[in-house]
Amino acid sequence: MSTQDNRDKDPNQVETTGHVWDGNLQEYNNPLPRWWLWGFYATIVFALVYWLIYPAWPIGDSFTKGFNTITFEQGGEERTMHWNTRALLAKDMQTGTYAVRQREMLEQVAAQDYETILQDAESMSFVNAYAQGSFGTWCAACHQVGGAGVVGQYPNLRNDHWKWGGTVEQIEETLHQGRLGYMPGYRDTLSSDQLNQVAAYVLSLNDYSVDQDDADAGARIFTGTDGGCFQCHGMDAQGLTSQGAPNLTNDLWGLVDVRGAESDSERQRLVANFIRDGIQREMPAFGDRLSDAEIKMLTAYVHSLGGGQ
Amino acid sequence: MSQAATTAGAAPAASVATSEQYNYAIIKRFAIAAVLWGVFGMAAGVWIASQLAFPFLNFDIAQITFGRFRPVHTTAVIFGFGGNALFATSYYVVQRTCQTRLWSDSMASFTFYGWNLALVLGVITYMMGITQGREYAEFNWQIDIIILVVWVAYFMIYLMTLLRRNQPHIYVANWFFMAFILATALLHIFNNIQVPVGLFHPHSYSIFSGVQDAMTQWWYGHNAVGFFLTAAFLGMMYYFVPKQAGRPIYSYKLSIIHFWALVFLYMWVGAHHLHWTALPDWVSTLAATFSILLLLPSWGGMINGIMTLSGAWDKLRTDPIMLFLITALAFYGMSTFEGPMMSLKSVNALSHYTDWTVGHVHSGALGWVAMISFGSLYHLIPRLWNVNLYSLKLVYVHFFLATIGIVLYITAMWVAGIGQGLMLRAFDQYGNLAYTFTESVVFLHKPYVVRAIGGGFFLAGMLIMAFNIAMTVRSGIKAEAREAQAASAEARTA
Repeated sequence: MSTQDNRDKDPNQVETTGHVWDGNLQEYNNPLPRWWLWGFYATIVFALVYWLIYPAWPIGDSFTKGFNTITFEQGGEERTMHWNTRALLAKDMQTGTYAVRQREMLEQVAAQDYETILQDAESMSFVNAYAQGSFGTWCAACHQVGGAGVVGQYPNLRNDHWKWGGTVEQIEETLHQGRLGYMPGYRDTLSSDQLNQVAAYVLSLNDYSVDQDDADAGARIFTGTDGGCFQCHGMDAQGLTSQGAPNLTNDLWGLVDVRGAESDSERQRLVANFIRDGIQREMPAFGDRLSDAEIKMLTAYVHSLGGGQ
Repeated sequence: MSQAATTAGAAPAASVATSEQYNYAIIKRFAIAAVLWGVFGMAAGVWIASQLAFPFLNFDIAQITFGRFRPVHTTAVIFGFGGNALFATSYYVVQRTCQTRLWSDSMASFTFYGWNLALVLGVITYMMGITQGREYAEFNWQIDIIILVVWVAYFMIYLMTLLRRNQPHIYVANWFFMAFILATALLHIFNNIQVPVGLFHPHSYSIFSGVQDAMTQWWYGHNAVGFFLTAAFLGMMYYFVPKQAGRPIYSYKLSIIHFWALVFLYMWVGAHHLHWTALPDWVSTLAATFSILLLLPSWGGMINGIMTLSGAWDKLRTDPIMLFLITALAFYGMSTFEGPMMSLKSVNALSHYTDWTVGHVHSGALGWVAMISFGSLYHLIPRLWNVNLYSLKLVYVHFFLATIGIVLYITAMWVAGIGQGLMLRAFDQYGNLAYTFTESVVFLHKPYVVRAIGGGFFLAGMLIMAFNIAMTVRSGIKAEAREAQAASAEARTA
């Protein structure tokens, strides 16, 4: 009987089982739809074939291995075993197109020094592609995907302002051992007038309009023993990379939103508050988490982001 | 709008007698509880879906963050909405098809309070951060015990009622309900074998460890889908579809074959949630192949339901309840096709850990479980209170809101899941991964917004249902009061 016959038949002509529940619940005695039955058989055949090819049924402490095999290298020797996911991974990492290509490039870059990498178009293209991924995994949570950071929290790596230095050696050191940035709060050291004066001085270094008397008073605190700011930021306020003390004269602000301030007084207040509270930041060390080659590539990548020194 | 559809197949005149013959009071409570949990659970779902699209919506309040509220959502919809709907319909079906009253009124009442107490405690403890961390079984061990006691009572009631039946044969819907009750007991017990930290301590440790623990958990997890969310709702389907259609079930033979195939095969497939992990490869193979074997047995239920309507398709034009039931079967067919495909190792390599899985679950949960429950409750509730539905038009509105919501939800999750899956396995010319995980998360934002909107549609439909049901029940209670008044007046004059 074909399915066509089934469809043409008026279901009312099929008999019911004769049982009736709850007034009118009945069941027709229709046969199993043919397509359903053959479909079910087809899935059984599929399963049987699958079981022949792959590991399938447990027997005692072992299991049926299936006819499919994988050949890969183990301990310098070629090894063939039944299909299994671990062997599949090993083989893929040894001979897979992408794995092989990446390994070649990694070896090439690992053998080059920074100067060569930065000038070699192919190496740099690989470094950018690879490190973009590493950066996304390890760095982007703070510095953001593009490396622009978050004002007030995480440094911007794109703006040629390097607190800890922008040479490849310095960047590599930063990545390798991490950094602890610290500026003490001046809450107990300076009065609020004095905080305002130092803020005025720092802003004046960047050509913001401030009260000149305040700025002059601030300069004395900054360069004198009252504030002692010069000890880290330098007498010329150009910073000191060994301390991670930023240059305060280039109008690049990572921790205070100076450029976003709506008015002169607001700007001065933000800077004064920052000096009052101080800050402590930590960049974690990646030396124990990433390989030297990975750190090398991240270094070259970060160096290229912000125009390294 | 004709009200005939809602009352087709029922005998309202006889129902005063039937409400004495049968225990309807317990069914009324479960039915109302199902609607209330539905509103709460689906609102919770829309809320956490919105949080995924716009994370600030957690407002830094720990109790309502996604991590804690997700089990609140799943518990409220699966066990609150679905569970109460199953209690209501199974107690209704077993009484009507056995032509006998429920075995014990007090035990039945106990299952109502015990079940809902466990759920409320669950919601509170999840929000406090107390969880077993086992998916769909997050209840801590004390609550597990409450559930176990309730479930044994449920089993006893069902079994004793079946034994007291005034019918020579057991109707097919009852096989499915019985399988669901038995399997759920088994699953609940073995998945929750725990060593408590202390008698008054909420935490406990699973007796299994490592991959065996993961397997136990997914043996439970997938059979919760198989028996709680599939077999039980097939039981619902086997009563309410032929009732609402007023036609016999298409094939008795098919119902037997697919019932046994379904209950046998489902038990094997849970491990397909653990492909490409520490799971032994042979377990993976068995889980994948049994999932494929499950395809046609699952479809058996769909065929039997849809073919039951064959010859009466015109009902779809006039009966929105039938629309719910048939659409539910269509979604059931779709998601039971999608499931076996996703359980193949090669497809799973792409779909696992992505929102495709979430979309698949919801095409089953919204499309099948919720739609069949809506249809059944719309059929059931007017009969319980012996009135007509307040508004059939609102049932239509509910139907279209729900369907639009599901389609938005599922397509958004296909885009999100397949898109993210492809991004995570894309390589560039140097063999590097082309995208970072973060980039794939950025990509998810738009589908997440669409998903939240889809959920909003579905919730809007649920709210309309709650209103419609409230108005229906209110008129039922008023009618009862009028009858009681008339009866007492009659008594006085006599």
